Amino acid sequence: MEKIISRPWSWSWLAAALTFAITSALTDGSGAGALAYAALSFGAFAAIVGLGQMIVITLGPGNVDLSIPAVMTLSGTLALKAMGSEPGTAMLGLGVAVLVGLGTGAANFALIYALRLPPIVATLAASLVYQSIAIWSNRGLRIKPPAGLADFATGRVLGVPNVALVGLALAIVVWIALERSVWGRWLLASGQNLRAARLAGVPVETVRASAYVTVTVLASVAGYLLASFSGGAALNMGQDYLLMSIAVVVIGGTSIAGGLSNVPGVWGAALFMFLVVSMLNSYGAGAGVRMVLTGLIIIGIVIAASTKRARK
Amino acid sequence: MTISRLLLGAAAIAVSAGVASAESHLSETSDMRIALSNNYAGNSWRQAMLQSWEEVAGKAVENGVVAAADAYTTSENQATEQAAQIQNLILQGYDAIVLNAASPTALNGAVRAACDAGVVVVSFDGVVTEPCAWRIAVDFQQMGREQVEYLATRLPDGGNLLEIRGLAGVFVDDEIHAGIQAGVEANPQFEIVGSVHGDWAQDVAQKAVAGILPSLPEIDGVVTQGGDGYGAAQAFEAAGRDMPIIVLGNRQDEMKWWAEMRDESGYETLSLSIAPGVATLAFWVSQQILAGAEVPKDLTVPFLKVTQDTLDETLAATPEGSVANVLYSQEDAQKVIADAKEAM
Repeated sequence: MEKIISRPWSWSWLAAALTFAITSALTDGSGAGALAYAALSFGAFAAIVGLGQMIVITLGPGNVDLSIPAVMTLSGTLALKAMGSEPGTAMLGLGVAVLVGLGTGAANFALIYALRLPPIVATLAASLVYQSIAIWSNRGLRIKPPAGLADFATGRVLGVPNVALVGLALAIVVWIALERSVWGRWLLASGQNLRAARLAGVPVETVRASAYVTVTVLASVAGYLLASFSGGAALNMGQDYLLMSIAVVVIGGTSIAGGLSNVPGVWGAALFMFLVVSMLNSYGAGAGVRMVLTGLIIIGIVIAASTKRARK
Repeated sequence: MTISRLLLGAAAIAVSAGVASAESHLSETSDMRIALSNNYAGNSWRQAMLQSWEEVAGKAVENGVVAAADAYTTSENQATEQAAQIQNLILQGYDAIVLNAASPTALNGAVRAACDAGVVVVSFDGVVTEPCAWRIAVDFQQMGREQVEYLATRLPDGGNLLEIRGLAGVFVDDEIHAGIQAGVEANPQFEIVGSVHGDWAQDVAQKAVAGILPSLPEIDGVVTQGGDGYGAAQAFEAAGRDMPIIVLGNRQDEMKWWAEMRDESGYETLSLSIAPGVATLAFWVSQQILAGAEVPKDLTVPFLKVTQDTLDETLAATPEGSVANVLYSQEDAQKVIADAKEAM
């Protein structure tokens, strides 16, 4: 038990379980299942973008990708436009989304590397360009996803939402890459001390480039899924996911100072972020109270998780 | 005003623009320049608004009614940025600025400066409180009240309502909410059992509704603010609940869903919102002011309502993925001005 509590990811899962129990208390028996289903569906999008943000944040102080909302909007818009609601084009749409991810990631890193811009400035500036391309390409018109893809995005297997299964699969891939591959070791080493890593022969710029491309590819996939899930891309569909992506990383127990990442924590935090809003809505808290409480709860969890780590 | 009349008005624009200016006793505006200062472009409503402007104001320029009608949008939706933009427009020598403001009060200084420089300022949708500017406002409270009144005709015994609000802290959200509250007070058979913020976006509304539904009793009606009805419907469907009467907000995907539901099960509801074409009304009002017409400072624009009877017609006239729209003509503007004068 002591061993489990001492793991940084346990706090986000504990918080998610607690908010789930408190919200379920308001519902009759069948409500809990519906709540869990909704949390898994919507948590999946936050978890997927959170995984990408986690990889970038692991690179160390100053590394963050603020272009996630614009990349999600751009990939959703272009993918749905390419598919044009025609049946059997789901893979084409996914291909477009992945290309958008590769392209935006490469552009972000080019700005960071070639122009030596701080990542915050580079990704924020680039996101204005991505958002403008999204506006220009379709002027905000909502195109429906192909029926088969929409059914998949809103469907379930054995009672688990398909989008959650995709999110889980991606989490496993990221976990293996981080924990079991050389690339993962390089990433952690770069995040702990960039200079030491470089002197030890780690190709740090390649590692950084791959991290910035991974985050936009994951954001693109999330945008593609979200647009298919909610019946079309909207120009403001990514807005929610800027602070969300950073919050799930921090609550999930990843060190904001870099060099330490935590995959299970991201999923726990993604569920928690959905459940805490549902809990406060269900208890009738107004918008002001809800935002203050959400902020306080997040601060509380971060403090709890980090003091535990410091004591060790 | 019925929709068919409004649509007819839209069709007549090409003719009216040329004819009306010829027969008007007002002074010439053909050498005057009008600018649109817009604070945000990141959703389908604003995109439709900009396109309406392009279409109507562009035509007016072509016909020589005014010399220029340029649209400017700020990138960050910040009042400071828009204030700087207004200062620039003054320096560029525009005769009138048509303004959709980021804040009702924060731009007052810049608006005052424009008035002092002799520039006509007409604010619409996002109006400003500075007295020297004109305001084309929507009665948002009425929009909230009317939703509850409609539900009262459909559900005489009342029932449980779910309220989907807009973006917290924004003037429009408070106004529509106040109207809904007033409606519920006047119709005590209704109770608002849940309230969430959908930020006027389908996916945010869908997420918020899915989160609160498990803890709610049976819902009979959903009152909304526009741009959130389809998301709510999807959340109800995913939860396997009976579909309540969801008041919609004129988006094409909402109306399409409504038409499908009607064909399947006879679903009935009401849809209402402001037409993005209100920008074109503001354009003509500013043109009339420049021409020397006497215009009251506060004008009200009716919202666009879609009913069971006008659904097919409106749906057919709305581009895929856009929002139901009305383009205003110079006569429409003159009529709105005359009505406002009468009411004074």
